[in-house]
Amino acid sequence: MLHVNNLTASIGGTPILNGLDLNVGSGEVHAIMGPNGSGKSTFAHALAGRDGYEIAGTATLDGVNLLDMEPEARAAAGLFIGFQYPVEIPGVNNMYFLRTALNSVRRARGETEIGARDFLSVAQEAMDLVEMKQDFLHRAVNAGFSGGEKKRNEILQMAVMEPRLAVLDETDSGLDIDALRIVASGVNALRGPERSMIVITHYQRLLNYIKPDFVHVLVDGQIVKSGDHTLALHLEDHGYADFVNHDLDDAPERPLSGAVR
Amino acid sequence: MTATSTADHQEIIAGLTYPTKRDEAWRYAPHDVLGQLSFGPSVESIRQLPLALDANIPALDGPRIVLVNGVVDLGRSELDALPAGLRLSTFDDARRDQPEKLAVHFENDADLATNTFTAINKAFGHNGAVVQVASSHAIEVPIQIVDIALSDVPATASCSGLIIHLEEGASATVVETRIGHGDFGGSNTRTTITLGDQASLTHIVLQDVASTQVHLGRIEATQGAGSVLRSHLFNLGGRYGRVDYDVRLAGEGARVELTGLYFGMGNQVLDQQVTVVHAAPDCTSRQSFRGILDDESTGVFNGGIDVRPGADGTDAEQSNDNLLLSDRSEANTQPRLEILADEVVCKHGATVGQLDGDALYYLRTRGIPEAEARRLLIGGFADQAVDAVDDEILRIWITERLQRHDA
Repeated sequence: MLHVNNLTASIGGTPILNGLDLNVGSGEVHAIMGPNGSGKSTFAHALAGRDGYEIAGTATLDGVNLLDMEPEARAAAGLFIGFQYPVEIPGVNNMYFLRTALNSVRRARGETEIGARDFLSVAQEAMDLVEMKQDFLHRAVNAGFSGGEKKRNEILQMAVMEPRLAVLDETDSGLDIDALRIVASGVNALRGPERSMIVITHYQRLLNYIKPDFVHVLVDGQIVKSGDHTLALHLEDHGYADFVNHDLDDAPERPLSGAVR
Repeated sequence: MTATSTADHQEIIAGLTYPTKRDEAWRYAPHDVLGQLSFGPSVESIRQLPLALDANIPALDGPRIVLVNGVVDLGRSELDALPAGLRLSTFDDARRDQPEKLAVHFENDADLATNTFTAINKAFGHNGAVVQVASSHAIEVPIQIVDIALSDVPATASCSGLIIHLEEGASATVVETRIGHGDFGGSNTRTTITLGDQASLTHIVLQDVASTQVHLGRIEATQGAGSVLRSHLFNLGGRYGRVDYDVRLAGEGARVELTGLYFGMGNQVLDQQVTVVHAAPDCTSRQSFRGILDDESTGVFNGGIDVRPGADGTDAEQSNDNLLLSDRSEANTQPRLEILADEVVCKHGATVGQLDGDALYYLRTRGIPEAEARRLLIGGFADQAVDAVDDEILRIWITERLQRHDA
């Protein structure tokens, strides 16, 4: 379904991804783990189409090269990105935003748009999934949301958009144990034979809740090791030191880490 | 000087000069455009209203006074079956029946020497509407004042007036729509508001004259103890669209909330000059103005908070946020604070920014095309001003008008 071949990305001449290869089959869940600064978020945003990278290589989803497309066209092609730092959009109603998003991809695919009443039941189902109350829909997108609410809103959007491929960037960061459980059960409910997922995480903790089919270790912009879920357990015990030949920089990633590294 | 002495005022006008760029309050005005304006006594328009204009008059039921070129047009007004406690009349009626009501409008001369256009309005704006609400009456239905400027004579701008007087404990909503049609001219309007103790006025102003015209609006308010004024400005029209607020909190515990939205396109200059005077203790004022500026438009917010000696316990806030949609548009923001009392809380802040690139990207990753994502963000910025309007019908009316603006 997704074939990433020799993907490179740099910002202002500084390389971040250095020839990344990844194949994700239909219905599979892949985890990408790696130390801070290894290029995890850059990978997500290179797929999504954020400005500011020099990109080479290919990334095809169902046979079309995402890298040639505008971000909105990638969404219409079936890609969804769950943001590590969801953006606050004051003044834009969450419900209106969700319906506009869904109808935009439907229009792009030549499908009929969904009416307000039908949309309400779609939204209700998605809200149940992430245990959100009704007033959630009537607030401005992410504005004043807690960290957990923002991440739940990402999963809510994924449920509404029904993507072919979801890339969840550090969805577990900043979540307490209850929020983590809700987010993970939402993700698990959305797993299916026609939907693939890439779960990007720094810690193994999330993978206790979302069991991946494959685990990849990303270091210095390349996948250096792949395996099954036991690889994540190995990392939990031994850290990334086995895969890194320089000192690890444990500084936390900054917001918008995709752009600033 | 009497309220009707046009000749006296013309003498005053003869000695007046138009402001220049050196006058702080007129620094960003297009002086070449102002220089082409001429003013004269109001003359009843013989023209039919252009159809396009009818569409700009809000389709709201209820009492209404329509002025065309500064003259009350009784045929288009709706003065029947007024609710108890509401009196709607014209300046001519007031001159005959209650001349004292005109005094506050015409005999407040403190500003004459410094504001040429106010002096001109007083000289020629002898027609207008009077809204009075008797004490303790609550008028639920919005009262509409529609001011229409037709360019019958080249470069002539109309002058008109509005007096709003709420007696003690009264409440009402007044909606002023200022529209126009033609290639020149425009309107010079002046609104004087007096609120008795504990009175409460919601006041909405849509400034929507033709983009070729000029609008010069001035709103003066004097508030009694415990009174509340909520005035919401939507400053959209005109080559130069300007609204001045001059609010005096004269009674203890009075509160004023001024919100504004200006949305400029083309080469528009949209100018708001605001002064709130805290002249009594424990009064509260809020000024919150938002600007959206596209193309080569210019926005101006010059906001003053003036805390007089003895106005202890003042609580004043002011904010001005601007969104620049073009690298040729311009926002000018200027706070003016003068505090001469104790125990005063006074906050102000201003921002000038562009559309948030991260927000745009976020929306696009959700499949929303760039142009629509921009519209959503602009609408979201504007909505934060529109939301200040409580009445849902009025909010929808304003929103629809803004959507046409944006299209």
